[in-house]
Amino acid sequence: MNIRQVYEISGEENGQRVESRILEERIQSAVAAGNRHLLVKALGQHGIGGRLFKSGEEAIHVNIYGQCGQRVGSLGYPNTFIEIMGPASDDVGWLNAGAQIVVHGNAGNGVCNAMAQGKVYVSGSIGARGMTMTKHNPRLDPPELWVLGSVGDYFGEFMAGGTAVICGHNSQSPKNILGYRPFVGMVGGRVFFRGPHDGYSQTDAKMVPITDDQWTWLCDNLKRYLEHINLYDLLDSLTVREEWQLIMARTPQDRVFRSKPAISDFKSRVWDKELGQGGLIGDLTRLDRSPIPVITTGDLRRFVPVWENRKYLAPCEATCPTGIPVQQRWQLIREGRVDEAVDLALSYTPFPATVCGYLCPNLCMESCTRHLNAMTPVDVKILGKASIDARTPEFPEKTGKKIAVIGGGPAGISVAWQLRRKGHQVVIFDKARTLGGKMASVIPETRIPQEVIQAELSRVEKVIPRIHLSRELSREEVEQMKTDYDFLIIASGAHKPRMLPVPGKDRLIPALDFLAKAKKNGIRPGKKVVIIGAGNVGCDVATEASRLGAEDITLIDVMEPASFGKERADAEKAGAKFRWPCYTEEILPEGVKLKTGEVIPADTVVISIGDAPDLGFLPDTVATERGFVLVNEYSQTTDAVIFAIGDAVKPGLLTDAIGAGRKAAEAISDMIQGKKPVGDNRRMIDKKRVTLEYFDPRIVEFDGVDQCGSQCSSCGACRDCGICEAVCPRAAISRKDRGNSEYEYIVNPDRCIGCGFCAGACPCGIWDLVANDPIE
Amino acid sequence: MLPNRPITPSTLSIKDLLWQVLWNKDKCTLCGQCTAVCPVNAIEPGVFQKRLIEPALNITEKPGNVYKVYYGIRQKTDPAYACIGCGMCSLVCPNDAILPSKNEENDKLRLHIDRGGQPRKRGGRRNVKDGILDQIKFIRISMLTDPALDAGRHEFELRTLLGRVLSPEKHLALLKENGWAPPVREIYPLMIGGMSFGALSPNMWEGLQMGVAYLNEELGMPVRICTGEGGCPPRLLRSRFLKYVILQIASGYFGWDEIIHAIPHMKEDPCAIEIKYGQGAKPGDGGLLMWYKVNKLIAAIRGVPPGISLPSPPTHQTQYSIEESVAKMILSMSMAWGFRVPVYPKISGSSTSLAVLNNITRNPYAAGLAIDGEDGGTGAAFNISMNHMGHPIASNIRDCYLNLVALGKQNEVPLFAGGGVGKNGNLAANAAALIMLGASGVQMGKYIMQAAAGCLGSESDRCNICNIGNCPKGITSQDPRLYRRLDPEDVAQRVVDVYLSFDTELKKIVAPLGRSTSLPIGMSDALGIADHHAAERLRIQYVV
Repeated sequence: MNIRQVYEISGEENGQRVESRILEERIQSAVAAGNRHLLVKALGQHGIGGRLFKSGEEAIHVNIYGQCGQRVGSLGYPNTFIEIMGPASDDVGWLNAGAQIVVHGNAGNGVCNAMAQGKVYVSGSIGARGMTMTKHNPRLDPPELWVLGSVGDYFGEFMAGGTAVICGHNSQSPKNILGYRPFVGMVGGRVFFRGPHDGYSQTDAKMVPITDDQWTWLCDNLKRYLEHINLYDLLDSLTVREEWQLIMARTPQDRVFRSKPAISDFKSRVWDKELGQGGLIGDLTRLDRSPIPVITTGDLRRFVPVWENRKYLAPCEATCPTGIPVQQRWQLIREGRVDEAVDLALSYTPFPATVCGYLCPNLCMESCTRHLNAMTPVDVKILGKASIDARTPEFPEKTGKKIAVIGGGPAGISVAWQLRRKGHQVVIFDKARTLGGKMASVIPETRIPQEVIQAELSRVEKVIPRIHLSRELSREEVEQMKTDYDFLIIASGAHKPRMLPVPGKDRLIPALDFLAKAKKNGIRPGKKVVIIGAGNVGCDVATEASRLGAEDITLIDVMEPASFGKERADAEKAGAKFRWPCYTEEILPEGVKLKTGEVIPADTVVISIGDAPDLGFLPDTVATERGFVLVNEYSQTTDAVIFAIGDAVKPGLLTDAIGAGRKAAEAISDMIQGKKPVGDNRRMIDKKRVTLEYFDPRIVEFDGVDQCGSQCSSCGACRDCGICEAVCPRAAISRKDRGNSEYEYIVNPDRCIGCGFCAGACPCGIWDLVANDPIE
Repeated sequence: MLPNRPITPSTLSIKDLLWQVLWNKDKCTLCGQCTAVCPVNAIEPGVFQKRLIEPALNITEKPGNVYKVYYGIRQKTDPAYACIGCGMCSLVCPNDAILPSKNEENDKLRLHIDRGGQPRKRGGRRNVKDGILDQIKFIRISMLTDPALDAGRHEFELRTLLGRVLSPEKHLALLKENGWAPPVREIYPLMIGGMSFGALSPNMWEGLQMGVAYLNEELGMPVRICTGEGGCPPRLLRSRFLKYVILQIASGYFGWDEIIHAIPHMKEDPCAIEIKYGQGAKPGDGGLLMWYKVNKLIAAIRGVPPGISLPSPPTHQTQYSIEESVAKMILSMSMAWGFRVPVYPKISGSSTSLAVLNNITRNPYAAGLAIDGEDGGTGAAFNISMNHMGHPIASNIRDCYLNLVALGKQNEVPLFAGGGVGKNGNLAANAAALIMLGASGVQMGKYIMQAAAGCLGSESDRCNICNIGNCPKGITSQDPRLYRRLDPEDVAQRVVDVYLSFDTELKKIVAPLGRSTSLPIGMSDALGIADHHAAERLRIQYVV
């Protein structure tokens, strides 16, 4: 067979179109038979010219006349040369793997879809979705598509390799030769084009300059292309370099930086421009809204530490009715100023040893923060007892104000002491032969050595004059005193025993009488003693009765006895029995008859259900309530120049009486200076602020004032330990010396972040972390 | 904190708390950042005592005790300072020494949080992880049947219509006869739902608005955002960005005088007016801006004194019946903009939704209906309202859509669904499910707070303090010290990211349905669920 001979195959047979399958069979048979030049007269058959591998290494030429169907040259092989002598239908060169296909006319949609090798030369324009999904196998030459005119929409979608050249000559759409939305998903290959376009997928593709090598390649291959489509004379007009452009796929790295404008650019260019400086609310507020870090300093801190030294009262000071700043005394001791610590007490009480050291139930110790952790409270009694040696302070020159105090008991002495310390002239009027009231006359010696009381009373006597009255004051005398003195203070106590309205009440001995006589060993109570009223005074009676020989002592009460502390303990030690509830029916010579009919035998029956003040001398201007003088919070009565303190106002502890005296003196002093009395409005510190973890919880008993001082947590008052300074993670805290041994810990706001470590670590609870002032 | 303190019934141990702060002494460097940042002061620096016993066995020495002190972080157990699990401590910890951990046991805190007789109020979410939306699958994947589209390659114009959509004949007839036809907006089907200026911080609000403006102006996505009920900054009202904004009016009427004053100066009409009758998060309860958040700025925008709590009553005070309420409000709001702006009500999901819908279908001025389901979030609400009241959105929107179908008006009255869209992170899937159940579009709130601003809330009672203004991310705080942590530009950027990725995901769902322009609204044959009862209830396919 002459391989140069043209073998003709017709797509029409007997006036009928040959099926695509049959035509394919005939073409394949012809090739198998050795034909290498085929002339196909097509009648819409599909897939002509593809898959002609049977020619092996020999070239095979297929010229197609008539109307070819779709997919000419699909799955085409190298050495296959197809020439379509007119326009082509869709999908020319679909999956082409090497064939050269020339189309003498326009081609439809899908030209070169998924082509991997070979060349397609189109002498007109092409339809949509040309050059899509093309590939480049690195072992073989990349595919090429040449188009003389324009391409349709969606050109080069998912193009992964090869070259497309779009000449823009005699274009079907001359205003946009690349069609609508080309190169979406393009990942490889290149496209030379010549002519206007209407944009392409910027995400996937980019325009690049044409290099000299590329230009040489383009010109060389353009010649070949124009030769194939028989339009070589267009060469000059198509090789004007400036008219050509090149689009390449973006690399994956390229895609990250897509060409969306940055938000910051949008903000300045669009947002702020439309809204004005400061954006959305720039007209409503001048607040800086720029970004800040999470951890901030200065004004931007959410919380700020505050050094609240002495802003709150220590629990000991707050609960001491006398108001002694106990923690301050321990601080002086820590500082080695023992004498000052001792002396300090006399500023608050004339009886630091008698009361703090012996007779006081020490509410300060009861409230000690250390109890929170089941730790032994700091022992104030040690310090109290040491105060016997306290040096009497200086008493200033007299102010000329004259004040009379009626009653020389603890309350009266306290107020006189304080007023005298403030320079006023004070006189105590008292019925008793000696100063000291009940404290001196009825408290058993077992409770306190007499020399302690005497020493403290003589300290008082040295500075405060006293007028001894041998009789009751009359109302007229008191009225007169009002004119003689600037202020009057009723501190006459409560001496009128409360009695029971029962038959035989004459047989009762009032407790205070009993105690006063007992103190002088002036009474013989017998073996059996019954005490009606089992409070602390009753307990004192029991103890004294025991000392004086009683063996069977019974305290009865209508309810559970209120006695406590040392008095109760001593009474129990003396073998006293406590019984309740017991309601007294009658006092018989042989004992106390109860409502139950029982008779408790007694040689002596003491009544100890309290005492009432004897206020017959009070002017009408002073109101009373239930037998006691009515006062305001500063102990002022309804008569502005008359004050009342102590048991005359309300039965209480010695320390209550002393405290009332001190506060009344403060108020009177303020009034003399024309000020409204203020008192101490500080509240007690929240004990939870105090850090007890620094202290040894196993201390059961203190071996002296120094250990007490070291174990006092100094609630609310700075110990000057410097822990805050050390613990601050930002070194924001420093100690500032203010002179006169005054100091302050200060915070550098530019360093502080408001973490609260200072507040958490402070042993004394000085630092507080508070919300910063709002910004608005 | 003393271990041996007296206890009360409400004394809790760390074990009883919902969140337990795990602190590692070895890693901690005592920098103070965790205590400085904790939004609720749940942790504090602590001083710890450590006892060492020094034994001695020979006769000359006595055994002894030594007490050492070390410093560290202590968690408070007072319910008022209970850890909220936000994790800001671990965010700022340079050494990874601290981490809140959720109690596996039911906490006791919840039983004691009502001290003083005040039931718990909080912000956030319902804290229920499950939801029917996440169970719905898209089972119609057309490869060869419908024109199968490629989400990556094909062009999509995913838009929906907000407004009363009439048939072309009716529309033309109306125009011809009355010179008027209902206004309709073509918008993106995912909206940012109403979150007020006040509920959100200025920086968050501006960030959202800026992101929306960017999407519109730079990317051509007609995204819309609702103001919520807290007024609208005057500058926004007078800017062209107003067209991207849906103004909300609710029963508190906060800030409406500013809006009214701005009407003559508006360059653009707002996108729409939303009349809020209810919120999914707290149906039956009104809006609430707690006093912590009402500072001078918020007070000025809302027209109220600062430092007071601002409740919006559950009902509009001047309206007495559904007929009157809907008709009166819609008419008045339409009039304000010359009937050029769509006006629609928003209600909380409820078994009474159909009644509202019926009313709306008969009102020619009603532009649609928005329904907010039980999973909606909020700035502040009673626990009881948030956790136990409300209607799931899926069946509610479905019932309403099918009702419209029965009336032949499914293409006329658009429904918008909200409440828990994307609450487990599946924003596009949830949105598409609701659309195929019958919604014309969806509204999101919590999702955008999480995704665009880093909201720490999750469905496990984490953080949830939006109500008290201490938002550690600055999203719902009015304190510059907190909200300046949030850069509006970053928020805007995230809004853009969220929308772009949502758009891609939505395309992935609708492309196999052959939809590239018209949304598959009500295309319930594309939905399947492996729960037979749910399938029957929603009238979608039961697939196993």
